[in-house]
Amino acid sequence: MAARAEVASARAAGLRLLAPTGAAGSRLAFLIERIAARDRAAFSALYAATSAKLYGIILRILRRRELADEVLQEVYVQIWERAAYYDAAKGAPITWMVAIARNRALDEVRRKTAVSIEDTPEVMNLAGEEEHPLDRVEKSQELARLSQCLDALDSNRRELVLLAYREGMSREVLGQRFSRPPATIKSWLRRSLLQLRDCLGQ
Amino acid sequence: MTERDEIDVLAGEYVLGTLDAVERAAASLARRRDPALETAIAAWEARLQPLADAVAPVEPPKSLQAKIEAMLPVAQFAPIGALERQAQRWRRAALAASALAACLLVTIGVRELSRPEAAGTYVAVFQKDDASPAFLLSVDLATRVLSVRPVAAEPPAGKSYQLWIALEKAGGVPQSLGLIDTQQSTTQRALAVYDRASVERATFGISLEPAGGSPTGRPTGPAFHAKLIKTAG
Repeated sequence: MAARAEVASARAAGLRLLAPTGAAGSRLAFLIERIAARDRAAFSALYAATSAKLYGIILRILRRRELADEVLQEVYVQIWERAAYYDAAKGAPITWMVAIARNRALDEVRRKTAVSIEDTPEVMNLAGEEEHPLDRVEKSQELARLSQCLDALDSNRRELVLLAYREGMSREVLGQRFSRPPATIKSWLRRSLLQLRDCLGQ
Repeated sequence: MTERDEIDVLAGEYVLGTLDAVERAAASLARRRDPALETAIAAWEARLQPLADAVAPVEPPKSLQAKIEAMLPVAQFAPIGALERQAQRWRRAALAASALAACLLVTIGVRELSRPEAAGTYVAVFQKDDASPAFLLSVDLATRVLSVRPVAAEPPAGKSYQLWIALEKAGGVPQSLGLIDTQQSTTQRALAVYDRASVERATFGISLEPAGGSPTGRPTGPAFHAKLIKTAG
């Protein structure tokens, strides 16, 4: 079975598979197609190639490992079940998988009581994170572009967007963080989103 | 703000994750019915993806992979535990959504399913997740008349959706209740041959099959499942 070899090659290829587009993206798309045909070896390959990335994203939002473990399981079961519905025309495979992971993690975190502000680390510096090996390999134009547009937002709005997206903070928690009522946060978000959209020109 | 701005802000907040539980549930339902919202969500997912790519990967515990692989449904019908979790999750989502999203639910047919005569009516909701199709199945237990209402359920080209019932006394082996018309609500009486109590406890499944239905008489494609829930009133 071709996909058996995929397991090994996916591991060898490691993080390069995570490129959002191009050959590596079509590799993931191929695996997803095999998974839709119920190929378990392809599933193992996809898991090997993507689980650390998805786990990192989920853990960052949920903060608690036992919760993150549970959500990761559900996410991969969903990927198995939904593979037949993946539509390459609608987005890159990794974007599809990240959306599944973030949506599950966010559903989970919104159901719980708000994470105490003491639990939340300082927002990490985007520039600093770009030092990460992943980014050195795939220091994408997209990230550079987005980063520029985030910097162009009013004062602390870049931090607001990052805290929301990566830490999964609700308006209430963001309100505590910035000492503003949630309604103010809402209007900040609104304005920042429109600015971002226009800056990115998509 | 223009209408497009409104949609982009809602979609943006959905993707950022700043909507509260009720708003999230409402948006999850709305995106299924509103292609403009769905497109706007996909656009934000793509725009913000570089931030996800910049999150440091963390190796999950080694034991998880085997655990996950053991959870993948082997049989076409998922283990009962998974079914119950699904049903619970849907109930929670429905509760969270009920206040704000009542109007949205109406558009997908709950109104039809909860009319006054619904006392003997049971509903099963097939909604695996936000992105895949949904079906609402309602059964009047007294007459065993069954109706299926598809929501955003366009099958991939050359495929059909097929409805199944698995009865305890038949050993849980799925039996076909026929193909589902994905364009409109359909009513049928295939359940008339089963007794009321069995139907009440049965598991229903919908699977994706080659056009015209399963060639083997058993589900062959990806399937999802639901049990009947009694409607209020």
